[in-house]
This record gives sequence, structure tokens and C-alpha cells, in this order.
Amino acid sequence: MLNHIIRRLLYAVPILFGVMILTFVLFRGLQSAQFIASQAVGAKAPQAAKEEFIKKEGLDKPLPEQLARFVGRTMQFEFGESWKSKRDVGEIFTQGVGPTLLITIPGFIAGIIAALALALYQVFVRNSLADRSITLVCVAMMSIPTVVYIIFCQAVVALQLNYFPASGFEWRGLETAKFVVLPILIMAIVNLGYDGRMFRAVFLEEVQQDYVRTAMAKGVPGAVVLAKHVLKNGSIALITLVVGQLPSLIMGSLLIESFFGIPGMGNVLVLAIQQGDQPVVMASVYLGALLYIFALTLTDILYAAADPRIRLS
Amino acid sequence: MKDFFAHWMTQNFLVVAGIALIAWILWSGAHHERWQRAWVRLRADRGGMIALWVVGIYLFIGALELIHLPNGKGGHHSILDVAFANRVALEKTYSAPLSDTLLSSASGEKLTGTHLLGTDTLGKDVLVETLKGCSTALVLGGLTSVIYIPLGTLMGILAGYFRRWVDDLVQYIYTTIASVPSILLLISLMMVLGKGLFQMSVAIAFTSWVGLCRLIRGETMRQSERSYVAAAKALGQTSAAIMSRHLLPNLMHLVLINFVLGFSGVILAEATLSYLGVGSPVGTASWGNMIDGGRSELSRDPLIWWNLTSATVALFGLVLSLNILGDSLRRAFDPKRG
Amino acid sequence: MIRQIARLSAIAAALWLAACDNNPHPAALRETDDDGTKWSVRYQNLPEDPKSFDPQYSYDQMSRRVIEPVYDTLLEYHPLKTDPYEVVPCMLAEMPKHEVTADGLHSYVCRLKPGILYHDDPCFPGGKGREVIAADVHYILQRMCDPRVESPFLAPFAESVVGMAETNEAAKKAGDKLDYDTMNVAGFEAIDRYAFRLRLKKPFPQLLYWMAFQCMSPVAREAVEYYDGKEHDGKLRPDFRKFYAVGTGPYRIAEYLPRQRVRLERVKNYKTTVFPSDSHPPEKAEFLAKLAGKQLPFIDEVQMTILRENIPIFILTRQGYLDGMAVNKDSFAAILGAEKTLSPKYKERGMFLEVDREPSTFWIAMNLDDPIIGKNKKLRQALSASYDPATYSEIFMSGVAPVATQLLPPGIYGYQKDRKNPYGYNLERAKQLLAEAGYPNGRDANGKQLELTLEAISSGSEDRQRSEYDQRHFERLGIKVKVSENTFARLMDRQDNGEFQISSGSGWGADYPDPENFYMLFYSKNVPLAGKNYCRYRNPEFDKLFEQMSVMENSPERLAIINKMSDIIAEDVPVILTFNKQFYTAVQPWAERTHNNLMMEGGIKYLVIDPEKREKIRREWNRAPLWPLGILAALIAFAIFHAVRWNRRQNA
Repeated sequence: MLNHIIRRLLYAVPILFGVMILTFVLFRGLQSAQFIASQAVGAKAPQAAKEEFIKKEGLDKPLPEQLARFVGRTMQFEFGESWKSKRDVGEIFTQGVGPTLLITIPGFIAGIIAALALALYQVFVRNSLADRSITLVCVAMMSIPTVVYIIFCQAVVALQLNYFPASGFEWRGLETAKFVVLPILIMAIVNLGYDGRMFRAVFLEEVQQDYVRTAMAKGVPGAVVLAKHVLKNGSIALITLVVGQLPSLIMGSLLIESFFGIPGMGNVLVLAIQQGDQPVVMASVYLGALLYIFALTLTDILYAAADPRIRLS
Repeated sequence: MKDFFAHWMTQNFLVVAGIALIAWILWSGAHHERWQRAWVRLRADRGGMIALWVVGIYLFIGALELIHLPNGKGGHHSILDVAFANRVALEKTYSAPLSDTLLSSASGEKLTGTHLLGTDTLGKDVLVETLKGCSTALVLGGLTSVIYIPLGTLMGILAGYFRRWVDDLVQYIYTTIASVPSILLLISLMMVLGKGLFQMSVAIAFTSWVGLCRLIRGETMRQSERSYVAAAKALGQTSAAIMSRHLLPNLMHLVLINFVLGFSGVILAEATLSYLGVGSPVGTASWGNMIDGGRSELSRDPLIWWNLTSATVALFGLVLSLNILGDSLRRAFDPKRG
Repeated sequence: MIRQIARLSAIAAALWLAACDNNPHPAALRETDDDGTKWSVRYQNLPEDPKSFDPQYSYDQMSRRVIEPVYDTLLEYHPLKTDPYEVVPCMLAEMPKHEVTADGLHSYVCRLKPGILYHDDPCFPGGKGREVIAADVHYILQRMCDPRVESPFLAPFAESVVGMAETNEAAKKAGDKLDYDTMNVAGFEAIDRYAFRLRLKKPFPQLLYWMAFQCMSPVAREAVEYYDGKEHDGKLRPDFRKFYAVGTGPYRIAEYLPRQRVRLERVKNYKTTVFPSDSHPPEKAEFLAKLAGKQLPFIDEVQMTILRENIPIFILTRQGYLDGMAVNKDSFAAILGAEKTLSPKYKERGMFLEVDREPSTFWIAMNLDDPIIGKNKKLRQALSASYDPATYSEIFMSGVAPVATQLLPPGIYGYQKDRKNPYGYNLERAKQLLAEAGYPNGRDANGKQLELTLEAISSGSEDRQRSEYDQRHFERLGIKVKVSENTFARLMDRQDNGEFQISSGSGWGADYPDPENFYMLFYSKNVPLAGKNYCRYRNPEFDKLFEQMSVMENSPERLAIINKMSDIIAEDVPVILTFNKQFYTAVQPWAERTHNNLMMEGGIKYLVIDPEKREKIRREWNRAPLWPLGILAALIAFAIFHAVRWNRRQNA
């Protein structure tokens, strides 16, 4: 087992390195040092200040040397200073982690539970009119841009119904909930169409297996078979699907946070995009990839723990 | 060079060439027995056929806007302009659908024309803008596909056929790219490349070839085990010939399905990028820009819904049709697994 | 067991619903004041994060809005006098005395009010704020001269105050060895503990206005040196140059959460200013009479919520969670009815609409160093005549922003009510001018279409619409206009570096109400990076008039020069004038406004609030209907019912 874990972790290293190279090529290789400096130091800065920035950041050095420096700093989570707010990028992100996690994790889980319920329901009443119309609704839901979901929820639920605050975020114990309920709901709905369809396909395949027929023949109620056996046996396929979606979570939180004025990482990022604040975007690319690779490796290891056969392959 | 590509004649040629390319792929595929069977199945699928028709109509409208004619004054304008847009008057600002007065002015200033879907803040006809949005979606989707489909297919086939170090390298590249959340990669690319339709296409293509490549690689590996490949090898055919003559035709249906579904992804991505301010440039009629503009109009009183609604419905119609068509194609090509 | 769980969850749900409402604001700092009176809070929004709390660094509007209530200034604008604006003493005991010595040198003698204290802070011995004395004013000037402070305000002072330029040079040479103890600004002379004299190289009438700007707010040297942003005894101290303030004003900054909120709390022992007893406008006389002479401020706590999106601002105002909002493009249509007054729907709610003049002019700037546009005056005139600011104002500002006819906005000395822009909107004339410029029908002698590039800001859909409007109006001349999109910072960068042809979204809001503040934008010595003449306008005649005018007190002679300068700018068209801003504010029934002076950034200390009325109305405005929940429940119930029936049918 330990062997497997180490192998998996080692496998992640070159990929992380690749991400660093990619980021470096994008932001350093494709832009001239002068351009970077004038963006970074800002409008009023004299040429001397730009030169100083180039010196400080080592932009005048040959590219391989710059890359080495970049990799070294990134590995220590040193992302430098934001060009606009002049605050430490690492610090900015740490401040935003809390609110972001508070939305994405419950939103993600709620979305999966909703999709599971929907898919199980569909499989339960499979091939009925309800099943077919839900499938169509799912496809329709996939065809609506995230922005439209958010606009609708904010305009209707927050403005017309007065259920939740239209914007804002506070750490206030249980009451924090009122700020995040609507964003979480949107998070859950945005992926519902896609997840629901995928999960349905997985369950449908399971339902056609022999053991289900045997159980049904024995007189076990359909609902029990679904809940006990199908859900359990389909779980490996489900986890793979779910993990594959982690990167798309970022987009949801990006838009939602900025619409609802939630001071999380997504909000930071949207502002950085609009202001052209490259260190923040660079850091987010790296951190986003790091999180995803971490999740991927973790699930791999968990699989192996759950099912020893996987370790062999 | 830049002038050459900006010229309307060149653009016309590119559009025609693009449409011809799709036609050629379909036509050459039609010889293949598998495609013929799939076509028979697709014809029986009512939803799929409706979706196909709808997509066709969108394509047609988009092409009308894309193909330009000289206007006799040294300039040029699109067929859509000739047929339609030039006859629709430009108003001063908002007016409601089918209304005959301006919305904002208290005096009830008369409009110079009728507008089926009203006008937007700058007085442009929303219907015309929405129709023109088809072309932007098409250009984006087309350009993106032109870049990512050959790239993804080529890399996939190479990796799947040669295996070993080629496979390792290709896998390494796409795993690295896939591990960066695509929206972040898109944004970074747009930031560095700057604004513009072409830049956006490059950025989206860069993030979307990975999925296709993975798919093609897997399928190539499966096909390579089959006897016909072994036979071709035994007959001493070169690798290039095996890949292009034997493997590729057996993979084209995957490319087609991926192309259809990928197209819908591109259109959705444009909407998101527009909100983030790195979308289509000023002056392009794009649904993403219309939705982003319509966002704040919802807080107006009287409510201005027609801008947001038209763009959303148009976008939804195309993406939904593409999704349904993609599903139908998948079922048609692979009835067991669909 | 199941029943227990159900009961528990029902109780939890009820509790949660009770605790939960749509109020986005955090609880106030406290419930009641020390004397048992109710603690009052004002809620307002801030469109962006402030950049710094250091008065020597805060030139942007957001920072100034935050620090204005925190740092008192030597002089301040009278909150009720706007035509003309007038500065009155704040920290000074009386207006500065203007003296001219026998050898023709000018100076001002000022005297601080005794007993003004800095806010209590650990940087002072015993944590008690000390008294503000004349030496603190010297410290302001010293900081300006310190190149490490990078004060954007140095230039006008260095030009006029004796010794500033020299001290700055010496400080540059000293570098890190700069010692404030020996650093001396020759033009400053402390007369006694409170009085001081500022000696000038040349007349500097604008000094009085600068004294009403936060860059002339006394700061304590103890605070600046204590809060150095470094670690001391294992604790990291905040950086005074970034986000820490030790002020002298009516409020202290109780909390700043980036991207979330700034919270101000009333300072207990503040005694510097009272509500003015004069110049009350007749329609508010009765209401203001009750406030006259009372100790400021009136509100205990101010919460400034940072909201970058417009929609939430509008929603929160409608729900009563903001005590007022600046009316923007989309809310204009909602809040203003016909005749540009408050729409009946909002009048019914008891809201007010206040219209204020903001001394600002907006324009589209042109780069006079550009080979095509810079050397062709007729072309610039043609562009100016092709632009229709009235429709622009109609579309983007519901027609409330008046068309700018001259560089100076109303309210600034030298503004002429009946002046006309000689190259105002006239499309036919524009076409003719374009032909005279050498581009008949937009084409040059070789028949090639003239192509210009418009640099624009692209931070949102409204910016995009604005750029498209500009583009379309210029293109009616038959020329081609390419829009290049920039972030705000990038556009500023382009303007400073001269990397633009035409730049939209420019303009100037008065730092102080003097024409010099506008004309300096076209003074040839102010070409960036020395100043803000980003049009790169160079005209020796204009320069001479500017030098004359800037050192004069207002007089008929000065007016004559100002008018002549207006003529020159109008003829040379370095900028296409668009509009003057009118500022519309929707005010809640419980927060009637007490002043309308936009030279101040909010004037928070003068504001009042009626929390009980607010509480009552808010409840009324935020009723939540329950029927959507009913529909949802019905849908789920139907699904279950359907499944059960289906199951039964399958089994049968």
C-alpha cells in the first residue's frame, strides 16, 4: 500500500512541474520584460522604477535562469506581491479560502446529492414519461450558461422574494448560512443537468446486471435494491465522474462570488482579471492545478485502499 | 498579411472553404458502411432530426451574415444586411418589442421603424443583433474546431499507434494541461494574447483538444489490436498510410460527435468570458455580450427583458440542439452503448 | 425516534428561519452608547477598495471617502455653500492671514485651535492621543519632501513654498540616511505652540484649497514611525502607508476587511467642529435649524460596504439596507420618472431625490503628438463637431448630464453660462471640416479611408456600450474607428506614455474649485510624467497666460485671462468636450441629507439618521412570500406519488 501511495505521489511531481513551466511560458515567455514592468509598476512610474522592477524580478536574466527562480519560489508558495493592491498574493488567497470553501464544498455535495436523487428516481421509474422528460430537462439545463442561472436567481430569489441577502458575506456563526444558501443552491443547480445524466447512465448499466435481477426475483423491493446494491456497486464509477468535475467548481465559484459580493478567492480572481493583475492570476493557475492533482491522487489512493485489485495494475 | 486576412473577399473564401470542408468530411464518411448505418438510425430518431434541422437553420443564418458582398460604394456588407438589417432603422435608444415610441423619453418620441424584438440601449434592433450573434458563435466555434480537432486527432492517433515514448509524452502534455482548471487557463491565455475572436478561439482550442485527444488515443489503441491493422502491417504499408487510410476513417465518427458537443462548449465559454470582460471585442454582436449587457437592465423600471431573453433563447436553442444532436449521433453510431 | 428527529429538525428550521432574514449587514459595534442612548449606524456603499489610509498617499476617491471623516483638515469646505464654494476654518482657529512683506514676498500665518487631540493609540505614551501642535504641520511638509513617501502632492508645493524643492533635493541625496530631526523646510516657521507661518516664493492662492485637502492633514510622527509594517517583539505592526490610521477627525477606522467593508466608529472626545449656523437653504431651514451649533458628528457608526456590482446596490437600496445610493445608468430609469424627478413608485416610499452639481468636466482626449491627429487641427474640430453629447447623456444618464460647452464646469470661477462650444455637435459642419482637413468623405487624397484608433476602458458591459456609441458617432463621418480595449490602469498607462490616438473616458473632477486646477492639464510643463497634460498640448501663448493666471487672486483681470484661455482651448480642440456630471442621489426617508457639497467626499460628520423609522420601514419593504415554497413542496410530493404509483403498477 505504502509503495502504491509513494508511486502515486511521485507521479504527480512531473505534472506539477509541467504546470509551472506552462504558467511560466504563458506569463513570462510570451510577454516582454518591458511590458510586464510597465504593467506592474503602474501608470505614473518613471522608467527608473521599471528598470528597478525588472532587476528585482530578474526579468533581464536568460529565460532558463528565470524559470529556475520561478520554480523555486513557486514551490515555496511565494507568489510575490499583487500589482494592484500591493499585498502579498499568498495572503490575499488565504483570506479568501474560508468563504470559498463554505460555498463550494456544500454546493458540490448538495449538487451531487440532488443529482443522485434525481438519477435514482429516474432509474426507479425508468422509461416512463417522467424519466424521459427529466432527461430532456437535464439536457436543457446543460444548455444554459452559468451566468444566466446566477442572474435569474439574484433577480428573482433575492430581489422579488426577499428570502436571502442580495449580496454580502459575514462570519456570524449559524447566521452565516443566510449569505451562502443562495450561492450554494446555484452551485448545486448549475451542474445538476450534467451530473444527473451521467449518474443515470451509470445506474442504468448497473440495473441491467444479473445481481439486480436476482434480487428483484427474490422479491426484494425495487427501492431497497436501488439504495443498497445499485448505489454501492456504482460508487466507483460515480467517484471517477465526481472527481473529474472538481476543476469546473472553480468557474462556478468565480462567477457566483463576484455576483454576490462574497470575499472569496473567486472574487479576488475576477477583480484581478479585470485589472490585469497577473501575479494573482498566475498564482491561481498554479493553486488550481495543485488542488486538482491533489484530489486526483487522493482518490487514486482511496480506490486502492477500497479495492486491492487496483493496486496491481 | 493582416490586411489580406481582414479583406472581405478572403473572409468569404474562408467561410466557403470551411463549409466545403465539413461537406467533404460528411461526403467521404458517407462511403463508409458504419456512417450509412448511423444515418439510417439517425433518420429514425425524431429528436435528433429536429435538432439537426435547427442547427442547420442556425448555420444558414450565420453564413448569411458571414458572406459579404460589395455595396457599390467601395465598401462591403453581409447578405443579412442586404436582405434585412439595412432596412431596419437605427433608433436613439431602448424601445419595447413592437412599440412605436422610445422607451425612455417622456415625450413619447416616435420610432422610425418597427422592431419585432425591440431595440437595445444604442437603438439597435435586437432581432438583427440576435441573428448576427449566430455568425459570431459560428466563427468562434469554427475557428476553434479548425485548430483543436486536427491537433487533438493527430496527437491521439500518434500516441495510440506508436505507444511507448510518444504515448508517454502526449499523455504527459495533456495531463498537465488538463490539470489546470480550464477556465483559469482560458483567462490566462486571453490575458496574455489580448482581446479578439481569433485569440479567443486559440485559447478555447488550447483547452479543448485534450478531451478529444484522450478519446482518440483510447480508440486508436483498441483499433490497433484489430486484425485489419495487423494485416496492413504485414502487407508492409507505412505507418503514415495505416494511420490515414485505415485508422482515421474508423475514428472519424468520434471526431464528428466531439465536434458537435465541443461546439456547444465553445458557445457557453464565450458567455462566461464575456462576463469576465475578456470576451468578444466591442462592436461584435455576440450573445455573450448581449447577456452581459442585459444583466444590469433587469434592474430597470420598466424592466428591459428583451435583450437578455433574446440572446439567452438564441444561445439556448443552439446549444440545446447541439447537445441533443450529439447524443443522437452517439446513439446512432454506437447503439449498444448509447 | 423518528418523531423525535422530526420535532428537533422542525425546531431547528424554525429557529433558523427566525434568525435568518435578508439583512446583509453585520451587527453594530454595540447596542447602546455609554449614556444609554441607542447606538446609531449609517449604511452606505463603497464602489471599490480604498488604496491607502495615509493622507499623504490618498489621491483616489475611494481612499478619500474613507479618510475624510478620520483626518480633519486645516480648513474645510462649508457644507452648504456651493456657489461659489467657500473654505472655512476647521483645525485652524481662524482663516490664515495673508501677509505681503516689504520686499514683495507672500506668506500665510495660521493658528491651530488649541486642545485638538490625536485619537488614542498605542503609538503614544500611555496610549492617550496627544495634542496637535504647529510642529505637526512641519512634519506634513517634511513627509512631502521625503522621496520614499512618493507624495503625489509635492509638485505644487515645491513650486511655491520656500525651501520645499531644496529640502526634497537634499532628501533624495540622503537616501536611507534621511533624518527627520535635522531635516528642515525653510518656508515653515513655528511662531508658538499653535501658530506657524508659511513663506511662499510666489503668490499661491490655491494654498487655501490645498489646506482643505487631506494631504495637509496633520499626522503624528509617532504614529508614522511606530507603524512601519515590520515585526517588533514578535508582533507584526501594520504599515501606516497602507492601511492604518491615527487621525484627528470625528471617526476612527474600527475595521477594514478588504473587498468587504470599512467600519468607522465615532471618536468620543472629538470637539473640533460643530454644525454651521449659516447659509441654510430655505427649503431645509426648519430641519437644519435644529442641528445648528450642535457638536459633530451625529451618527455613532458608519458601515461602508464594498459593492462592485451595480445590481446589489440597487436591490439593497430598495430593501432599505443602504441609506442612500448614487443613481447609475440602469437605476436612473427605475428611480427617475418623466421630467427627471423621482418616479411615483419611489415617492410613495417616502424617498427623496437630490441633484448635486459635481465640479467636473468629461471629454474624449486626443494625443497632439500623434502624426495624424495631432498636427491637423481641422480634423480634431471635425471629430468634435461629429460627436453628439446630448444623445449620449440621454442614453447613458437619462439626459440629466448637461452638455459641456467649455473646459470649466459650472461652479468654477470663470465658467460662462452662455458660452457656446464653437465645434459643438453639427454633423454637416463636421463633414465640411473633415473635407477641409484633407479627408473628404473620410478618405485621403489617395482614396484610402482614414482609420483612427479609440482607446477605451472595458471593465463591463456599460463601458462596451459607451465605446460602441463613440465609435458609431465618429464613423458617421465616413472614417473607420477601431476600438482598442484596455483595463482602467492600462488606459492611464497609455495616456501617460502617450501611446494613444484618441482616448475615451477621460475627464477631470476638481481637486479644488479654481480654474487653475483645470488649465494645468494643458500647461506644456505638465506633460507626463511631470503632470497630467496627457494630451501633450503645447502652446506658448497659453502657457504664458497660465503662468499669469495661476498666481492671481480672483479679479476682473483674472477673469479676462481665463476667458481668453477658454477661447484658445475651444479653438485648438485638444479634447472633445462631452458633459458635466450631475450627481443624483436617491435618499431614504430616514436619512434626510444635511448638505450637498461634492467638494467633500461624503461629509459624513454632518449626516443624520433616524434608526427607528428605518427599522419600521425596512420590515415593511421586506416581506417574503411563501407560495414559491408551496409550489416546490407540491412538485416533490407529486414526484413521490408518481413513483409509488409506478412501482405499484410495475409489481402488479
